[in-house]
Amino acid sequence: MTTDSAGPETSASRGVDKAAIVIAGLLAAVALVLVYDANQIPATTMYGMGPQVMPVVIAIGLGILALANLIDAVRGHLPARESADPVAVLLILAGLALLIAIIGFGGGFILATTALFVTTSAAFGRRAFVTDLIIGAVLTTVIYLAFDRLLTLSLPAGPLERLL
Amino acid sequence: MDTFAALAHGMAIAVQPMNLLYALIGVFLGTAVGVLPGIGPALTVALLLPVTYKLDPGGSLIMFAGIYYGGMYGGSTTAILINTPGESASMATALEGNKMAKAGRGGPALATAAIGSFVAGTIATIGLAFLSPYLVDIAVRFGPEDYFALMCVAFITVSATFGDSPVRGLTSLFIGLTLGLIGIDKLTGQARLAFGVPELLDGVEVTTLAVGLFAVGEALYVASRRHHSEEKIEAIKGSLWMTREDWKRSWKPWLRGTAFGFPIGALPAGGAEIPTFLSYSTERRLTKYPEQFGKGAIEGVAGPEAANNASAAGTLVPLLTLGLPTSATAAMMLAGFQQYGLNPGPLLFAERPDLVWGLIASLFIANTMLLVLNLPLVGLWVKLLAIPTPWLYAGILVFATMGTIAAKPSVVELSMLAGFGVLGFLMRRFDFPIAPVVVGLILGPIAESQLRRALAISLGDPMTLLQSPISATLLAVALIALVAPFALKGLGRFKANED
Amino acid sequence: MAARTGGRRRTASLLSEGKIKKREPLARPWRGPLKSFCARLIGASVAVTFVVTFLAGAPASAQQLELKVMAPAAPGGGWDQTARAMQQAFVASGVARSVQVTNVAGAGGTVGIAQFVNGAKGDGNQLMVNGFVMVGALAMNKSPVTLEQVTPIARLTEEIQVIVVPAASPIKTAQDLAAALKADIAKVTFAGGSAGGVDHVMAALFAGTVGADAKKVNYIPFSGGGESLAAILGGKVTAGISGLSEYDGQIKSGKLRAIGVSSENRIPGVDIPTFKEQGIDLVLANWRSVVAAPGITPEQKKTLSEAVEKMVKSDSWKDILKQKGWDDAYLPGDAFAEFLKKENVRVTDVLRSVGLVKS
Repeated sequence: MTTDSAGPETSASRGVDKAAIVIAGLLAAVALVLVYDANQIPATTMYGMGPQVMPVVIAIGLGILALANLIDAVRGHLPARESADPVAVLLILAGLALLIAIIGFGGGFILATTALFVTTSAAFGRRAFVTDLIIGAVLTTVIYLAFDRLLTLSLPAGPLERLL
Repeated sequence: MDTFAALAHGMAIAVQPMNLLYALIGVFLGTAVGVLPGIGPALTVALLLPVTYKLDPGGSLIMFAGIYYGGMYGGSTTAILINTPGESASMATALEGNKMAKAGRGGPALATAAIGSFVAGTIATIGLAFLSPYLVDIAVRFGPEDYFALMCVAFITVSATFGDSPVRGLTSLFIGLTLGLIGIDKLTGQARLAFGVPELLDGVEVTTLAVGLFAVGEALYVASRRHHSEEKIEAIKGSLWMTREDWKRSWKPWLRGTAFGFPIGALPAGGAEIPTFLSYSTERRLTKYPEQFGKGAIEGVAGPEAANNASAAGTLVPLLTLGLPTSATAAMMLAGFQQYGLNPGPLLFAERPDLVWGLIASLFIANTMLLVLNLPLVGLWVKLLAIPTPWLYAGILVFATMGTIAAKPSVVELSMLAGFGVLGFLMRRFDFPIAPVVVGLILGPIAESQLRRALAISLGDPMTLLQSPISATLLAVALIALVAPFALKGLGRFKANED
Repeated sequence: MAARTGGRRRTASLLSEGKIKKREPLARPWRGPLKSFCARLIGASVAVTFVVTFLAGAPASAQQLELKVMAPAAPGGGWDQTARAMQQAFVASGVARSVQVTNVAGAGGTVGIAQFVNGAKGDGNQLMVNGFVMVGALAMNKSPVTLEQVTPIARLTEEIQVIVVPAASPIKTAQDLAAALKADIAKVTFAGGSAGGVDHVMAALFAGTVGADAKKVNYIPFSGGGESLAAILGGKVTAGISGLSEYDGQIKSGKLRAIGVSSENRIPGVDIPTFKEQGIDLVLANWRSVVAAPGITPEQKKTLSEAVEKMVKSDSWKDILKQKGWDDAYLPGDAFAEFLKKENVRVTDVLRSVGLVKS
């Protein structure tokens, strides 16, 4: 509901939804992990309720929901999905991975966010890499200067930031 | 000192031209930093506190109040414009606000948020000035069992954010509850679901989850559907300002939001999220235009925004009267006061009335400045949506990650942000609602700790939940709220069958 | 003054809980609009120190120290404030040429100490702030890294703990509370800070000392000073435990009654009896200390110890202590190493007895 729901409702006729079955399976798996983890917690509480009770309660809830999702999946009670563009998604994820790597290796804010800017705009279909690179670099440099220098926010500094 | 005379005296100091300028600068800086997703008002104040050091006590107090209000409003701006609540309290705003923005009604949404904040802030500040001593007596009577009952009411209201399928809504909620379990258990210090990763011991940060699910997830989702180019964001459609109709539909939600926000904010463990969601679900039930909810109903912006601001003024009640900082924001306020040698506590009103009333006057002034600064800016904000989509989303991602980078620049935290982005994308793709996840993460741990505290005090006797009159009343309210819709629906069906 | 720090500490606990970053102006003196101001300030203080050291005839070699101090917590908390205070005093007293403070937050210092032990091994220019809470946190989190691996330098400060009851409570003295504990320990509820923290340890120690079963202490942890204070004021719990300065305002205004403090002797200017003079042998303080990296040479240890000693004796450190309301508890060298060991044993025993640590 935070986004527009995916397309027109043509679900009833589509039969079993494999992806939804995977979701139900994942929920059940999470429930099992919760129970397993709760069993690892030593029971130490003298009064009231221990730390292992709530995980079990939530696990039971997840188990029921896994079942409900499974029923929905088998009945095909799910809204139809439109085809997605995997390249765009992978491009943005690559951008995020680059950002994390650059920050992790001390490459600094400007390099990291410029990389994210360029990959994201490419994901949205832009092919003018050089233009976007320049726009991204200028934008992030201005952001860096405004927030780090003027507003004294602490943003990670790399080789580029030290030049400024 | 007579309350009115004291307030008038504080006001006289606050309206000096220099102080008005400080208020304006404060509001501007606060808005500028507060718009960063993941940087809520508390962090905004924390980051900008050094800027106020250079001024005299009066001036810096006023600038401080301005930063605070600016930071609050900044979070709502991103919630409405780019569906990225800057903090958990503006999540309810994003639900309808962003739908309005996408339909070209971003202007009225921002306006009703700003004016609603102003109205709520003003009423709540008056409440703070006159009702503090009485409210605080009630507030300390709230014990753990009463908070647990309050959480039960809050959980019921979450269902308003579920969308059409209760199964998928509940699934989202339980994902959030599961995430809330991660980390050290507050009551026994035992690690849960940390799998030996030390960084996980402190649990999942609400802002990281919210920014990941909302901003990153949204960007991924929109990019994946780019070739279905039917969805166009329209910057402005119809009036940029609130129409007569908008005013008519906004003023009651403002007042109701204030009525939720101020008292709950005054509770030591009340918080701002519960009143905003209570307000949202109330407006949803009371509206004359139920068909618009989920598609951009102005009531759904006006109410929660007012509740958010009123609760912020509410947290000042225990802070000023007892010296209790009951939220991260209040803790920052406390740090701010201490810069000026002001020690909130039971003796504050008696010992330093000048500074207390100066502060309350500053809050009035800052609130007014917020309106003065932001109403003219509404047009500018809305035009941001006219930026070509590739750059718009690239910019959103840069700002979204920047909040996390500035707040906690660790690889683990950024990886969690990316991971939550993927989760947000998948949930959108399979049509699971997003908001209940964040609500589960916020409310789950509070409800659990309060219940366990209550049971520890009662030595494991669950009847303690019914023996406290406050708790019993709240639980009854929760039960009615839970059962009533089903009962009404059943009745409706029964009637339909008879026809 | 005490009330002032009280607020600060409470702020700090809430901050670390909300994981909020609070910027101290000193954090990066060379950035932003503060740059020129700080440059001037530090320039001036360096000049003054130079003259002072020159007059005192101190050797200039210490000027060469370039230190890194890790605060194993988020900015704003007690450890962070200690690290930044050290930074200020080191530089202002001319003991070190530059001091850089880094924050590694997480799980009561568990994350920070792991990074310190692995990353700073053999480095004679790195220090880490730690304290009472870390002892318990390491034990509870089953940390593979322990305090035995670091090189103890000195204890710096401490804060005395207090037990309070609501003003209307029938409990008037520590002995009344002891009697209540012995009558029915389950019915005596204590409110305080996080599980395994200093407040919790104190509740268990109090019960154990008066002859009740420490294992059965009904301790209820609250998040942040605000919530526990509300629970005490509202009469939801029997008693509350906290640092003395935190409840100072409430005690003075008569809303809370202090039934005892955990110091060895009466604190000057504080009209609260110690537990000892009430016949309960309980002495406890929330201390903070500084340690160096593992595997450093004896010379490196000596240099660092001397630098810390000079820093602690400097006027700027004394000013900071006064300003923050911290009690000087300087304890250097082997005496501190001994103290650390004893506290480790004591805290781990208590936590084991209340079931927080599995043996």
